[in-house]
Amino acid sequence: MAEKIIAYRFDQVDQTLSQLNKEDCTIIAGGTDVMVLYKSRRGVPPKITKPIVFIDHLNELKQVYKKGKDLHIGACCTYSDLLNDPLIPTPLKNAIKTIAAPAIRNRGTLGGNICNASPAGDTLPLLYVYNAKLVLRSVSGVRIVAISDFIQGVRRVDRKSNEILAEIILPSELEEGAYAVFEKVGNRNADAIAKVGFAGYIRTNGEVIKDIRFAFGAVGPTMVRSVDIEKKLIGKTIPLAGADIAQVLSAFDKIIKPIDDQRSTARYRKTVALNLLRYFLSRKQYQHN
Amino acid sequence: MITFTLNGRKVETDAPPSARLLDVIRDEYLLIGTKEGCGEGECGACSIFVNNLLQNSCLIPIGSIEGAEIVTIEGIMESDQFKILDESYSEAGGVQCGYCIPGMVMASAALLAQNPHPSEAEIREGISGNLCRCTGYNMIVDAINLAAKKGDGLWQKK
Ligand SMILES: Cc1cc2nc3c(=O)[nH]c(=O)nc-3n(C[C@H](O)[C@H](O)[C@H](O)COP(=O)(O)OP(=O)(O)OC[C@H]3O[C@@H](n4cnc5c(N)ncnc54)[C@H](O)[C@@H]3O)c2cc1C
Ligand code: FES
Ligand code: FES
Repeated sequence: MAEKIIAYRFDQVDQTLSQLNKEDCTIIAGGTDVMVLYKSRRGVPPKITKPIVFIDHLNELKQVYKKGKDLHIGACCTYSDLLNDPLIPTPLKNAIKTIAAPAIRNRGTLGGNICNASPAGDTLPLLYVYNAKLVLRSVSGVRIVAISDFIQGVRRVDRKSNEILAEIILPSELEEGAYAVFEKVGNRNADAIAKVGFAGYIRTNGEVIKDIRFAFGAVGPTMVRSVDIEKKLIGKTIPLAGADIAQVLSAFDKIIKPIDDQRSTARYRKTVALNLLRYFLSRKQYQHN
Repeated sequence: MITFTLNGRKVETDAPPSARLLDVIRDEYLLIGTKEGCGEGECGACSIFVNNLLQNSCLIPIGSIEGAEIVTIEGIMESDQFKILDESYSEAGGVQCGYCIPGMVMASAALLAQNPHPSEAEIREGISGNLCRCTGYNMIVDAINLAAKKGDGLWQKK
């Protein structure tokens, strides 16, 4: 007989946090990553060695609301919840629509996608260019970190064992004149893990670029973003000159270092990544969304 | 002990909390219409409804569904909607070996309940999480189209 599997499912976030403070646990939201990770033979319960804490039922972690210019999104909102919510920006909805199929979207959560920290996590490039901030809660209170600091490597995040991700804040979502887009290149539509993901963000005043950001997914251990390269384009006008575009492309050519794996080759990935960027930079105009 | 509703009946199980809902409904409640294909969320053979939402029972730890309403293919077989789907799948020749069909029917029912007049693209998206190794999907798409027409007016009441 296997060892006993312990699990908690509290009614309140506070009780959940006290438990996490007492012992190191495996948090399960939708479980769409965790259950695959711990998959065992049919009929045999997945062997999750740490005590389990279920959090997907906690309403407090499923709220979507505006506070000033910021949009707060509860970590346990499922993809379907977000697709049905009028406050969620269209580019994020478009990214979510590329994720898996309806049954997975009815279960998988935004917080799970972030904490799972897969290089191919499809919401991540866009969250990077939105400068998303993460609200981590523990018994000692609240800690807010930038998503780019939180995600440290493949499946490695800066979460203390007594913390949960409670909310995702999109600070710049409402900035006027902003345009954002997510593009994904994969194999087939549903259930296709990205070979390359790209998010672009631009804010202009007339023709002048006030702010511009890019992030690439699935071409390195974490999302690839470079504020230094972005800065070089601020103040330029659209459409961008060919020389400016070439300069940005060659700068990214140096820092994008994809790998070969069963889904694709490094060369293909890099070519696609740079083409997506070129396409984004070559546009004559950007419809605000 | 975990308590939930299974096809309208209150049930209790002492399966370990990480046990897959798929195994519990098949092995403990002997509802074997729900199939296992991949065990990883890719094929949809294990599709069921949790609180009216289509989900993959191979990815659901039983401990997470306390108080939830679970409906399997057996739970919809008496409904008028099922009868129409059954007829339409037969008429369109949408069933070959049949292994994927319980999951396909659950996905079809979920789609039509949300969108009673789906376009072909919407039908394909609705069953995009369900793999079929036999039919090449066209006959299944036809079946769902037919069901939408035959069951006009029926889908939105649940
Ligand atoms: C068939 C299939 C297809 C998929 N397709 C895609 C796809 O196209 N694109 C994509 O990006 N992903 C895809 N995924 C992966 C997965 O569905 C997503 O990453 C999803 O967002 C995970 O959310 P979850 O709630 O299910 O996570 P879980 O499995 O519950 O958790 C994932 C990880 O995050 C931790 N965690 C979750 N929530 C919190 C929290 N609030 N605080 C702290 N830690 C937390 C867990 O402990 C675990 O380590 C797919 C998965 C499957 C099975
Ligand atoms: S068995 Fe669950 S999706 Fe394949
Ligand atoms: S009919 Fe055989 S798998 Fe679909």
